[in-house]
Amino acid sequence: MDIFEKNRASKLFTSVIVLALLCAIAAPGQVATKTWTVQHTPDGQPDLEGYWSNVTITPLERPAELAGKEFFTEQELAAREKQAETPRSAEEIAGTIAHYDFHQYGLDRTQTKHGLNLRTSLIVDPPDGKIPPLTAEAKKRAAERAEERKKVGPYDGPESRGLGERCIVMAHEGPPMLPPAYNANLQIQQGPGYVAILHEEIHDTRIIPLDGRPHLGPNIRQYLGDSRGHWEGNTLVVDTTNFNDKTNFHGSGENLHVIERFTRVDADTIIYEFTVEDPTTWTRPWKAELPMTKIKGPIYEFACHEGNFDMVNNLTQAREQEKAAEEAAKKNQK
Amino acid sequence: MRTISFIAAMLLTALPALPHHAFGSEFDVNKPLKLRGTVTKWELVNPHSWIRMDVKGPDGTVVNWMIEGGSPNSLFRLGFNKGSLPPGTEIIVEGYQSKDGSNRGVGAKLTFTDGRQLFLGGSAPGANPDDGSKK
Amino acid sequence: MSWRTVLPTIVAITLGATAAGAQSTSYKAPRTGDGHPDLNGIWQALNTANWDIQDHSAAAGTVVSLGAVGAIPPGQGVVEGGEIPYQPWALAKKKQNFANRLTADPEIKCYLPGVPRATYLPLPFQIIQGAKSIMIAYEYANAVRNIPLDNPGESPAPAWMGWSVGHWDGDTLVVDVTSFNEDTWFDRAGDFHSDALHVVERYTPRSPDTLIYEATIEDPKVFTRPWKMSMPLYRHVEKNAQLLEFKCVEYAEELIYGHLRKKPSK
Repeated sequence: MDIFEKNRASKLFTSVIVLALLCAIAAPGQVATKTWTVQHTPDGQPDLEGYWSNVTITPLERPAELAGKEFFTEQELAAREKQAETPRSAEEIAGTIAHYDFHQYGLDRTQTKHGLNLRTSLIVDPPDGKIPPLTAEAKKRAAERAEERKKVGPYDGPESRGLGERCIVMAHEGPPMLPPAYNANLQIQQGPGYVAILHEEIHDTRIIPLDGRPHLGPNIRQYLGDSRGHWEGNTLVVDTTNFNDKTNFHGSGENLHVIERFTRVDADTIIYEFTVEDPTTWTRPWKAELPMTKIKGPIYEFACHEGNFDMVNNLTQAREQEKAAEEAAKKNQK
Repeated sequence: MRTISFIAAMLLTALPALPHHAFGSEFDVNKPLKLRGTVTKWELVNPHSWIRMDVKGPDGTVVNWMIEGGSPNSLFRLGFNKGSLPPGTEIIVEGYQSKDGSNRGVGAKLTFTDGRQLFLGGSAPGANPDDGSKK
Repeated sequence: MSWRTVLPTIVAITLGATAAGAQSTSYKAPRTGDGHPDLNGIWQALNTANWDIQDHSAAAGTVVSLGAVGAIPPGQGVVEGGEIPYQPWALAKKKQNFANRLTADPEIKCYLPGVPRATYLPLPFQIIQGAKSIMIAYEYANAVRNIPLDNPGESPAPAWMGWSVGHWDGDTLVVDVTSFNEDTWFDRAGDFHSDALHVVERYTPRSPDTLIYEATIEDPKVFTRPWKMSMPLYRHVEKNAQLLEFKCVEYAEELIYGHLRKKPSK
């Protein structure tokens, strides 16, 4: 089996993260080098450039059965990784057997490199590895949103569908960026005074200025918020505000505030940490971290809206079903 | 057994939200399909690719079907391209028909006539993985 | 670039009558850390090419209730020589596109704009220039192109924004773009292409705050010969200039899906 390496002494991250990379097949993984030298871009920034994926098998929150257990042993993780090597069925991922096979298209998690993580949850703070409780205001907001949803059927119109299905934005783009079911691919491109993060799905580019300018004024709200960055040593710190109220990250509203930290620890690994705070949503801030792994590029075009036949098909079918139900009802009345 | 339930729990809680899918909304589990026909076009688009295929019915009439597949982007990464499924290729599609009974379906299992899987072979763990070995 | 090489080029362009300016200049842009001309910045075209890449007078728009706001502003064209060398069938198709533009223009549906239209949309774009690749992010529909400066291999499939490969030619960034689908237009006037489109772009620094942009268009299925457009690009010099989100899909949903609503608005 693979050799794991612990990196306890670093001041860059608070958790113990195993940096060995496991290929999707059970081949010996690479061992992260302790003595990786920071590379720099032509304008002097630590080099984060390349193609990355944040696929992981670690859940966001610590499962109930593991309460109190912050780390796996190496053996436990190895067993868990071995279990995760089995491709998931379409039903497991999509909840239905009436679905294409993800593995056939290279979309299964087992088909992407991912970093190993001895943690039992991505959330490192609060210490119980769980998202903190919602505030009363957030509960009210959630209830109001649920009430709004009840007023319309699931296929009344495009707005009845999720933002991803409408090809507007995908949840995993964040920030914060959490792994999706598939296509976690992103590219980091740096230029003088900027770091750009391009998500393949759905071709959103977060362009982060490093010149210390203030955030946008409060009346401009965006799905991906408004990001501002600066370097602290070799760590890129990105502060994002100005979210709109549709982003709804685990119940958040407009006041979502995300602070991300990107630290490249070797040629193939960026440690990605994020802190989420919103006093109108959670009783306290919470923090998570996960490794991003280098993948083969390039980023391909993902023209989602242009190819969104499903929206037309789903709405058409819903109308046909309603019509059929109406006609059946009329017949019954005769 | 504790270990199995722990692992099962891991897998269940590890499922991130599916990016954009309407769960089971478009295709009908009660309308299974098995089609054998020739590819007329492979549309390499997102969010889903589509295989268009001519299928000869029992009465000899040819019907063109539209079969939904996954995003092609990971296939690109592994070296597949628009020439990988040329028109005229005979394939077998097992899947499910759209709820409205039209000539549209989703292909759960796609094979050539000799039984080989169309794109990434079988469910062997890590078959053709993106392990960087093709850099 | 010496005087001698610049002068004949300028003469050649003025003979073409409608070029936007000298193709080559004596201006030397500041260099990036890896020694190439620095094209970083937020840029925008200042013309009406997105309405119509050829000379056009002011005209009524397609939506009566938009009145003067929806009218077509006048503009001098950006096509060198003025004519777009359509094959006869293609000229007829262009006219048909123009007549149907309210329903047929992909920009109205918030579809990706293709190249070179992305460059002269009335919205800014940003060049983020690295040593190995250059990213161009467009405010419109968060369109984006990555331009590798090494060989990225073959494109696997046609794309709205094509497949770009870049290299430096002196002070000019040259981008070779192929593998387009046939679904984009060059403007709102119905100028179009096929999937055989091949575009060669040139971005040349002209002054600290301007670039000269040239795009040579080749499409043997549609045109009788290659042709070219050119225009200046202007730097956004306002303090704190930045690209904002123009996720226009939402604004096109009613148009595309409205008739499929449970309670149709029409």
